[in-house]
Amino acid sequence: MTEHAGMSGLLEGTVAIVTGAGQGIGEGIAAALAAAGAGVVIAARRPDNGEPAAEAIRARGGQALFCRCDVTRRADVDAAVSAALEQWGRLDLVVHNAVSPPGPPRPIQEIDDETIAMQIATSTTAVFHCAQAAFDELRANGGALILLTSPSGIEGSGHLPLYGAVKGAQRGLLKSLAREWGPHGVRVNAIAPVAWTPALDTATAANPTLESRLLGRTPLGRIGDPSTDIGPVAVFLASELSRHMTGQTLAVDGGRYLGL
Amino acid sequence: MTPQTTRTALVVGSGDPADSVGVGLVAAGWSLLRLGDDLIDDDTVAAAFPTLEHLDLVVHARYPPLCRQRMDLTNLTAEQWHAACDEPLEAGIRLARAAYEPLRAAGGTIVYLVPLMASAGGDGFAPFAGAAEGLRVLAKSLARTWGTDDIRVHAITLDPSAFLAPTDAAGMAEANSLHDPPLGRVPDLSDEVSLVVDALTTNAFAALTGASLVVDGGLWMPG
Repeated sequence: MTEHAGMSGLLEGTVAIVTGAGQGIGEGIAAALAAAGAGVVIAARRPDNGEPAAEAIRARGGQALFCRCDVTRRADVDAAVSAALEQWGRLDLVVHNAVSPPGPPRPIQEIDDETIAMQIATSTTAVFHCAQAAFDELRANGGALILLTSPSGIEGSGHLPLYGAVKGAQRGLLKSLAREWGPHGVRVNAIAPVAWTPALDTATAANPTLESRLLGRTPLGRIGDPSTDIGPVAVFLASELSRHMTGQTLAVDGGRYLGL
Repeated sequence: MTPQTTRTALVVGSGDPADSVGVGLVAAGWSLLRLGDDLIDDDTVAAAFPTLEHLDLVVHARYPPLCRQRMDLTNLTAEQWHAACDEPLEAGIRLARAAYEPLRAAGGTIVYLVPLMASAGGDGFAPFAGAAEGLRVLAKSLARTWGTDDIRVHAITLDPSAFLAPTDAAGMAEANSLHDPPLGRVPDLSDEVSLVVDALTTNAFAALTGASLVVDGGLWMPG
């Protein structure tokens, strides 16, 4: 676990749920949390990637279990919380990362009702599910909620306007929850990442100039890695190091978005 | 820009700020069409305005009563959450979709009115803040997408008193600023906010799109 050097022990004795942790940024965050000492529930819809993600953490000496979870279903989110409590007896952190694939670029007038409903369900309804299901445990442990939003949720997106809207909605939710839960000692923050994920792989395959354009707009000159670039920021937001931060969005994108 | 004599505005939402902004637009010479908090979809717009060929302005301020009630998230039912967050967000997206063709025909403008809680958060108003912030960012996305269609899109952040009961609004203002509004008052919706909306449709602002304006007397100064 040398790739997460410096974080070892930061989250020792804590327990996290990461939604959408079967691949991409969720998997990277789960790996980083586990490397920092947390027990991690890999809450993912698909066992074919959720189980291997948990196994990979265990193979590196970390603690993880897979729990099948469709975040649009409250019962599934409750089951993920129960799995954490049954395995480790506590819950300190929920990272809501799962999102319905935004699909190909389309203007809003060409997006159908079903797509709108699914994007909202995984981005805002799911926040409601995660927040309600976990609140008692987070309050008991002085825990944290982290939402994975996007630069598109701050500056909008001409290519993915619906995605930008639901990611923006998450920022309204996080700031309100930060105010609501602050007196209870629960912190709520967000990460707006740009990193290599299966979704970005697909997008760059479909649009060969996308990668070079993205790099050209990124001062650090590379696209982030889910585990070694995004994961440590989640560890920071979960740890005592950020104990006086709430309601904030950290853009972890190599400097591409500088508007905050 | 469309000549003033033919300007048609659709104002969406029940109560204030939609009502008062609508009054102000009529006073400024606009022909006004109104939709309340009815379900917004393509059929709603088509049925309400079967002869509508173009729209110069759409003003969205549709936040049903449950949005505007103070409720701790931990006590909400799934139905309350849907009614206060998901449904208003979805309706605002659908309105944009339905308004695209009539706006394009006129080279029109769409303005989303949002409460301060959208960008600043609001204790007890998470669903409202979520829906409204989603629509504030949607305005930026639409501006990026529709600029070449000569449609301009903006969001205007208003003082919470434009949407909430006085006691709740006072609490929101208190939570967000150590100061009183520098202009000494919260802008009047029909006399002042409507003028800003009206101005955004004019040639004076032809080069502006995707703006997030705060029209609250200077209480909230983000960035």
